[in-house]
Amino acid sequence: MIKTKNLYFKYEEDIILKNISIEIKEGSFTAIIGANGSGKTTLAKHFNALLMPAKGEVLVGGTSTKKDELNARKKVGFVFQNFEDQLVYPVVEEDIAFGLENMELGNEEIKKSVDEILKELNITHLAKRNVNTLSMGQKQLIALAGVLAMKPKCIVFDEPTTNLDEKNKKSIMGMIRSLNKKYRMTIILITNVLNDLRYADEIVVLKNGIVIFSDKKSKLESSVLKEARLYD
Amino acid sequence: MIKRLTFGQYRCKDSFLHSLDARIKIIYVVVLGILSFGIKSKFEIVVFSLFMACIVLLSKMSFKELIKNLRPFYFVFIFLLLMYLIFSRDQIILGLRYIWRFLLLIIISMLLTYTTTIQELIAAIEKLSKPLKVFKIKPRNMAVMISVAVRFIPLMFIRFERTREAMASRLADFRKIRHIKLLVLNLLEKMLRSASNLSDAMHSRLYNEDIESRKFMKLKSCDYWSVAIIAILILIIY
Ligand SMILES: Nc1ncnc2c1ncn2[C@@H]1O[C@H](COP(=O)(O)OP(=O)(O)OP(=O)(O)O)[C@@H](O)[C@H]1O
Ligand SMILES: [Mg+2]
Repeated sequence: MIKTKNLYFKYEEDIILKNISIEIKEGSFTAIIGANGSGKTTLAKHFNALLMPAKGEVLVGGTSTKKDELNARKKVGFVFQNFEDQLVYPVVEEDIAFGLENMELGNEEIKKSVDEILKELNITHLAKRNVNTLSMGQKQLIALAGVLAMKPKCIVFDEPTTNLDEKNKKSIMGMIRSLNKKYRMTIILITNVLNDLRYADEIVVLKNGIVIFSDKKSKLESSVLKEARLYD
Repeated sequence: MIKRLTFGQYRCKDSFLHSLDARIKIIYVVVLGILSFGIKSKFEIVVFSLFMACIVLLSKMSFKELIKNLRPFYFVFIFLLLMYLIFSRDQIILGLRYIWRFLLLIIISMLLTYTTTIQELIAAIEKLSKPLKVFKIKPRNMAVMISVAVRFIPLMFIRFERTREAMASRLADFRKIRHIKLLVLNLLEKMLRSASNLSDAMHSRLYNEDIESRKFMKLKSCDYWSVAIIAILILIIY
């Protein structure tokens, strides 16, 4: 689904990502784990062409992101770490429709998709609400709904459970899992919580912009996590 | 888009200009600014330019840095020059003179931000604006307003960038006016919201506009020296 080949990236003079070659398999549940500032978000932004590698390339469905941004953006949805900054319209249902409008669907179709998603996530009662008056957990759901509505093949979740209480954490993680299991969607979960690894079947461990592990979960050893400074 | 936003171009260096009192420097910017508009004859312009060259040397700003800091203004200079070339070619010498004076003015204010930290500037503005109390303008409000702006503007850019990215990943196209409008409105709304959050946070930490900062500022010998130098310059020109 997604492949990076010898990817390098830098902001100004600081090299943030070094020689990253990983593959994210279609239909897999991949967790990218690493300490704060290890470059997880920066790496994930390459998957839907928000960032372009300084060296190397990223292939989404076999096409380089440099050649076709739109392809990458359509295939890979992104639920951001700061979901407050990703709601663009003031009214919930308008916001969910934003991506669909950009896909140039007809009004009827958009309305149908939005209603479907609202029902699926059990948030029909929020449809007319102003997004700014929602709680953190509700905003998170709207952000997810906006991405889901576009029916991408793959979704990146950037630390989706920070800011949420235990109940919402469980329900979001449950939802992510069912997207993977029921709808065969490729999931990329960015996290720094070891506990989240239990849902994943593939793990990528990042440390200071270098991949120190990338394989099936069964092969992961605790020494790797120690090296990534995820616990002491 | 905006990778790194630096406010002003402060560089920590050990120079005569860096050691001057920020209040004095602000006053000089005003005085020199007025002077730069007053100079007319060739003689005055040459003297003033030489003087500016000396100040630049005193600030230890390298030629490379000078050129780099002026980069945002190149467009304006070229535009002005073109205007003169197109509309009043006979006055081109006069035009060049205007542009040169404008350049000097920019360098004057640039030197202030180059040699003074934001904190020093804010404290100095607070002290200098004390006389404004007569007009019911509170110095503390001025100072806080500036420091809030200094902290906020880069933050606004970061949030702007985040929203832009989120919109792009839902296939927004920023060649469309509609999407640009949406992005800008969104930013405005966030700005107002953060401002109101900030005001709550400030009040809950007992913000009081009547208190004056207790920062103490005292003039040093180098400050008195600089006054003498400027006085001589004014005497030469007039
Ligand atoms: N816009 C930017 N300009 C300059 N440096 C940046 C920028 N964005 C991120 N960085 C730097 O890149 C590095 C990696 O950042 P990144 O956001 O990818 O980390 P992360 O692993 O997602 O961390 P966290 O768990 O805190 O979200 C950090 O050192 C950060 O300071
Ligand atoms: Mg991150």
